[in-house]
Amino acid sequence: MYRYDEFDHAFVSARVEQFKDQVERRLSGELTEEQFRPLRLMNGVYLQLHAYMLRVAVPYGTLSSRQMHKLAHIARRYDRGYGHFTTRQNIQYNWPALKDIPAVLDELASVEMHALQTSGNCIRNVTADHFAGAAADEVGDPRPYAEILRQWSSMHPEFSYLPRKFKIAVTGADRDRAAIQVHDIGLHLKKNEAGELGFAVYVGGGQGRTPMVAKKIRDFLPVEDLLTYTTAIVRVYNLNGRRDNKYKARIKILVHETGTEEITRQIETEWQAIKETDLKLPQQDVDAIDTYFAPPNLVQRPEGWSGLAAARKADHAFSAWVDQNVTPHKNPDYGVVTISLKPIGGIPGDATDAQMDLVADIAEKFSYDEIRVSHEQNLVLPHVAIADLRIVYDLLLTDGLATANAGLITDIISCPGLDYCALATARSIPVAQRISERFGNPERQADIGELKLKISGCINACGHHHVGHIGILGVEKKGEELYQISLGGSGDEICTIGDITGRGFSSEEIVDAIETIVDRYLEIRTDKEETFLTTYRRVGAAPFKDALYSEVANAA
Amino acid sequence: MSDIEQPAGELWGREGFREDPYVTAETLEEAGDAPAVILPLGAWLGLTEETRNASNRKIGVLVAPGESIEPLLPILDSIPVIALQFPAFNDGRSYSKAELIKNQHHFKGELRAVGDVLIDQVAYMLRTGFDTMKVNHAVTLNRLAGHNLHDVPGYYQPGRGSHTVSGTYSWRRVPGA
Repeated sequence: MYRYDEFDHAFVSARVEQFKDQVERRLSGELTEEQFRPLRLMNGVYLQLHAYMLRVAVPYGTLSSRQMHKLAHIARRYDRGYGHFTTRQNIQYNWPALKDIPAVLDELASVEMHALQTSGNCIRNVTADHFAGAAADEVGDPRPYAEILRQWSSMHPEFSYLPRKFKIAVTGADRDRAAIQVHDIGLHLKKNEAGELGFAVYVGGGQGRTPMVAKKIRDFLPVEDLLTYTTAIVRVYNLNGRRDNKYKARIKILVHETGTEEITRQIETEWQAIKETDLKLPQQDVDAIDTYFAPPNLVQRPEGWSGLAAARKADHAFSAWVDQNVTPHKNPDYGVVTISLKPIGGIPGDATDAQMDLVADIAEKFSYDEIRVSHEQNLVLPHVAIADLRIVYDLLLTDGLATANAGLITDIISCPGLDYCALATARSIPVAQRISERFGNPERQADIGELKLKISGCINACGHHHVGHIGILGVEKKGEELYQISLGGSGDEICTIGDITGRGFSSEEIVDAIETIVDRYLEIRTDKEETFLTTYRRVGAAPFKDALYSEVANAA
Repeated sequence: MSDIEQPAGELWGREGFREDPYVTAETLEEAGDAPAVILPLGAWLGLTEETRNASNRKIGVLVAPGESIEPLLPILDSIPVIALQFPAFNDGRSYSKAELIKNQHHFKGELRAVGDVLIDQVAYMLRTGFDTMKVNHAVTLNRLAGHNLHDVPGYYQPGRGSHTVSGTYSWRRVPGA
């Protein structure tokens, strides 16, 4: 993984020193909250419903054991013993005291981490496929490019006051696990016919109150043009994006209002003017960054194959976990392990300090010191020998981290909602917990199969409900929480925005409504191989609407 | 009382504070016989070429964030100063315009930032190509007087007032000419 050099260390410590000064001025009263606001936001400090919240960047979701131990330490010493992993591969601390935040930033800097650009109208943490560098289906590792983008976008003098926040995601496989088509810029690393690496470039995707699937504006951009082309896109956006209405300020609205053809023309024109400037990437620099992400020297472990079959036969629960939470690795002796942060009835994405320490220890011993944070709010051990799966499972089991539900209905993405967030209009965590409990039976959810359920507590869609196979949006209506359901959304390579079923459901009704949908799916699927999403795409919304609304009508 | 409105604030550049020879006016008539005037883009474009190039006074142009700089690009050589507005600190359009004017179209005159100039933005402004800033924010004035630019020791992008360092990546720079 990438390691800071002196340049990076000096940069981050200078930023920490500046923020220390600003916090002192705020605590002494020299700065008002209003004056302090833009300064704290640049350092990832939000003011939530009950307290300040600190959002720490985990670049493209990659962490070492040492870094994870540090995150655990921060949770223990400066927070209430837990942290919340987010859909942007970051971690949030919900209860730090403002006076402690500079010390937390010092601690982070000591392990080459920071909280910069996790907020504000700038280029945010660049995200990537959480299986990068390990997945069997990968064309190339997207992380070196994400790292180059991270560096280039850090305190960018031209792009720190954009019309709105700006999110870039990179994937290196045809199977899109980074949801690139719902980002401001999505980059799909691929090879052309000559076998050279480059990117398909997507622009203008996003969720929020106006969900849109990104438009592909270039099928193949050579790697050397990554920064010049990105600069052209962001410059066109900075100059022309709407600033009169914050809800229309994202690049998706500019793309929509300008038209894909015209915006592409503007971007290409700007790019021609800067294509041969200092930002053109020399191959040696790409290679140098690439070296940091060289795959670990994996020891051959063929003995795992024979042992695994016996271990699976002996323990049904272990076998179910292998089926659900282990994904094929490039090296057949290894697997990619998803650690579910979705225990049945738990809070999606939360991890205690002890759990973080445990994951760090396991990663150090059994995953070549690497951990990933997924945008689905889980953790990933990218390089686990099949021979070690049993011991890793047993260790995870000791602290409730072996839930075999990756990709199933209880693997819910949920925003913090009204329990924490100042923007939320409804609670989302308690709804997630009740749905999780309703479907918690392992056999039942395995029978339902792949089903991505996502919950947002307001229209800003942090819980990605628009791309949930089943999406739930909590709104406030006449003082009551009301939950709208959408169906058929998907954030992968065939990206779709879900269709709203109709009138919403109360907090009491919502779990039953979800069960009604699931039961209807089980009735009408052709067989167990036909997933919920495939079934929905075949039959459309009608059978589900019938089930939802006729049943309610009958009951009334 | 004069009807010429001298905008409040001090003019600052890399070398420190300096006298501002320019007055800002809505029209040339309003500026009276001031030897150096900055006019809004509309008024400036309405001048004849002869008036713009007259040797006895300098006439600069003020561009609001929503206005296009396109009409200025072919005649940059005849403009002594371009002032780009920051009506609010979070309106960043003028940074991109600075890049275009200075680095893509090689404007040789003075590029000036006017409006809501805060201390945390000064380094960004200098790097995107601004030469001067008209500052009226008290904290910013204090910090500038104390030569505290809130800058960082290294940059991850090329820009004005910085140079490459050997042995590191092509996009990195350190401060200094």
